[in-house]
Amino acid sequence: MEACSISNLKLREFGCEQSLLSRPDGSASFIQGDTSVCAGVYGPAEVKVSKEIYDRATLEVLIQPKVGLAGVRERSQEQCVRETCEASLLLSLHPRSSLTLVLQVIHDDGSLLSCFLNAACMALMDAGLPMSCLFCGVTCAISADGQIVTDPTAAQEKESRALMTFAIDSTERNILMSSTKGSFSVHELQQCIVVSQKASEKMFQFYRDSVKRRYSKYL
Amino acid sequence: MFSALQDRVGQILLPGDEFCSDTDDTISLSEPVKSEKLVCGPGLRRSGARLLVCKSGVLRHKPPNVFWIDCQQRRYVPARGETVIGIVTAKSGDVFKVDVGGSEQASLSYLAFEGATKRNRPNVQVGDLLFAQFIVANKDMEPELACIDSSGRASGMGVFGGGGLLFRVSLGLVRRLLAPNSDVRSDLEQLFPCELVVGLNGRVWVKAASIQQTLIVANLLQSSDAMTATQRRQLFAKVQQGAL
Amino acid sequence: MKETPLSNCERDFLLKAIEEKKRLDGRQTYDYRTIKVTFGTDYGCCFVDLGKTRVMAQVSCEIVAPKESRPNEGIVFFNIELSPMASPTFEQGRQSELSVKLNRQLERCLRNSKCIDTESLCVVSGEKVWQIRVDVHVLNHDGNLMDASSIAAITALCHFRRPDVSTQGDEITVYSPEERDPIPLSVYHMPICVSFSFFQQGTYLLVDPCEREERVMDGLLMIAMNKHREICSIQSSGGIMLLKEQVMRCSKIASVKVSEITELVGKALENDRKARKAGEKCGFAESLPQERITALKTDKTPVEAMDVTEKVDDIIQKAEVPPLSVPSPSLPVPGVGQVGQNTWGLDEEEEEEEEGEEDRDSSGEEEEKGTKTQKEKDKDEVVELSDSEEEEVVILHPDT
Repeated sequence: MEACSISNLKLREFGCEQSLLSRPDGSASFIQGDTSVCAGVYGPAEVKVSKEIYDRATLEVLIQPKVGLAGVRERSQEQCVRETCEASLLLSLHPRSSLTLVLQVIHDDGSLLSCFLNAACMALMDAGLPMSCLFCGVTCAISADGQIVTDPTAAQEKESRALMTFAIDSTERNILMSSTKGSFSVHELQQCIVVSQKASEKMFQFYRDSVKRRYSKYL
Repeated sequence: MFSALQDRVGQILLPGDEFCSDTDDTISLSEPVKSEKLVCGPGLRRSGARLLVCKSGVLRHKPPNVFWIDCQQRRYVPARGETVIGIVTAKSGDVFKVDVGGSEQASLSYLAFEGATKRNRPNVQVGDLLFAQFIVANKDMEPELACIDSSGRASGMGVFGGGGLLFRVSLGLVRRLLAPNSDVRSDLEQLFPCELVVGLNGRVWVKAASIQQTLIVANLLQSSDAMTATQRRQLFAKVQQGAL
Repeated sequence: MKETPLSNCERDFLLKAIEEKKRLDGRQTYDYRTIKVTFGTDYGCCFVDLGKTRVMAQVSCEIVAPKESRPNEGIVFFNIELSPMASPTFEQGRQSELSVKLNRQLERCLRNSKCIDTESLCVVSGEKVWQIRVDVHVLNHDGNLMDASSIAAITALCHFRRPDVSTQGDEITVYSPEERDPIPLSVYHMPICVSFSFFQQGTYLLVDPCEREERVMDGLLMIAMNKHREICSIQSSGGIMLLKEQVMRCSKIASVKVSEITELVGKALENDRKARKAGEKCGFAESLPQERITALKTDKTPVEAMDVTEKVDDIIQKAEVPPLSVPSPSLPVPGVGQVGQNTWGLDEEEEEEEEGEEDRDSSGEEEEKGTKTQKEKDKDEVVELSDSEEEEVVILHPDT
């Protein structure tokens, strides 16, 4: 059976700042290595009649590229993020209202989708929206020589044979969303999932630490 | 579950954390077992036998059995019985539409003022500030305000706001201001006399003797949101000595 | 989404405060809020914080055919994007009045003042020139977007480096930054926009209005100027009548402000250049304020991969290979091959969910139904969400 070698797995240094913007109800910027994303959330706010859903909130995710206008790539990423957020948010608690999540690319140096997910989760948490669980994004690349690389840089992504991003929830460590590119075996997929679940532990610990730090003056 | 919750009072909880009802309790035969009753406030939800945390923040406890999550939210979600500061946005027929910062505009009947009758309408203009109480607020219905209490008295509610300044702070600070024996409030009291109207929707209205003093109070309150008690006292002391 | 309405009380207070020469954040009439200029990891990426207003500018380039009227000049394109993140009233993909006004003003301030040498952007005359694109994203709107955008755009242009090109006959080679050092644009001068807001029909004047001040102002005057005190553009909007002296006074104030801001931008550029030369880390990640409690950063962290292999093998072994059931092809009419059942036909029976799989024997189908009902049962049991915020959990113990 085909298997990847897994050794020396690393996440680049990552950081986060919450409530950095004054206008949105919740905001966060998330940094993974050189990749960084800024997120802002508005809501629960007034909804347009055309978008109103009678029993839950309407969630809109907008991704703003750095150069030019949003295209097909951004639309597909928006969908990935939206579906993940919908799975974790308790949208039925705010029917007939709108939630808007805007994600701005600050710099893309690989693992952009996972950075979107992490920034989104931090911003939603900052906005105080009711969530059933947290989620985080982890990107794994399989290099040409069969090595799994977690949190790849843009250069590593380019050289890779396959690229997968998973959204993982904080309670059961289940997969909320997966987005893959390239070819890989079932065994490799399972390996990447397990690796991502391992990496997610670090992320969730980081989430907890940063929220703890944030509330340190409130205790 | 009660003890599990009590153990974590004052700790930071994140969405997805949960408490399970302890089922392994041995049944004591000697004393009658009372049913355990908990009241869950914002941020805590029941799901079957479990208690889920759905907001990030500090777990608070009020004896005997009330628990809630204290979180730094900015967007207001109406709740029945809460008093808020609203801005009148429109007059339509026999109701006023009032912006309270929630997801929907609240309605306020013109009869819901002290002494108002069909003939004697209250004098409310678009753009006026109102201090009012929610009499209907749930997720499925349009929120409704009233400027009278259950006995028909105004008790402080109604149109206000000549000469003062309205500004926004976080919902957490508002609750701290309104708490009995609030330390922020007592610090402020020592500074200079001012009129303060605090709405639970994060809006605060201040009026002091002069415009300068009003601005100082507003800026102090806005900045004390992210300060510890000692930092705040230092700042307030500086102001008192005339640094500003 | 609608903007929070401005109450009469706020309006009255603001105007009264302005009469007394007081501002909401304690500034003086001619004071700017604190300006912070930071750079991204890329060349040509710049953030400007003006108080709470925050904008990001990114410069990019590509080789395009020149305009027919100017065959040997490069093209500079500006775009201010009012991101819905900045304010709830900004909508995506809609050109609002404000965005048209800002874009127009930025073009006049930077393109029409000829601050960029467009002739140096020519690669092959009449055929290929560089197009420089400046995207300004507004991230947080707390008033005076124009000044922040103009500072961000010109700073980003100064910071930007385009790839080097060489032409040999018909062949054009674009070098990557590893091969040849990229080249900065030639910027002649730095026009910076300074906004003045007028109140009470021009009686009172404020520099750098914040969002609430902008909402009660009567008129706005924007003067773009460079440090040589040359006016690059001037625009008055809002329909107020200004006297000659007022405009003169504003231009004097603008010249002071512009020289201060130019100095700041110069220092920021110099710092960044030094940091890049020394090979230090620069960019957004480094500008994360470590001293704030809202920010946290971790170093590189290893992920333990101790039992990954075992776990995976375990999962794979447990996972059964899905039965490979390919329905046998049928030939309904000669010349037509069909695999599985055609679901486009008319409804003959009640619609069943899994129609395609006829091959399964009846016992399997029953089993399927069995599990389905089980699932439904499960569904019924889970999550119960009532609408009230407060809830009671009652745990009943058996009475003794």
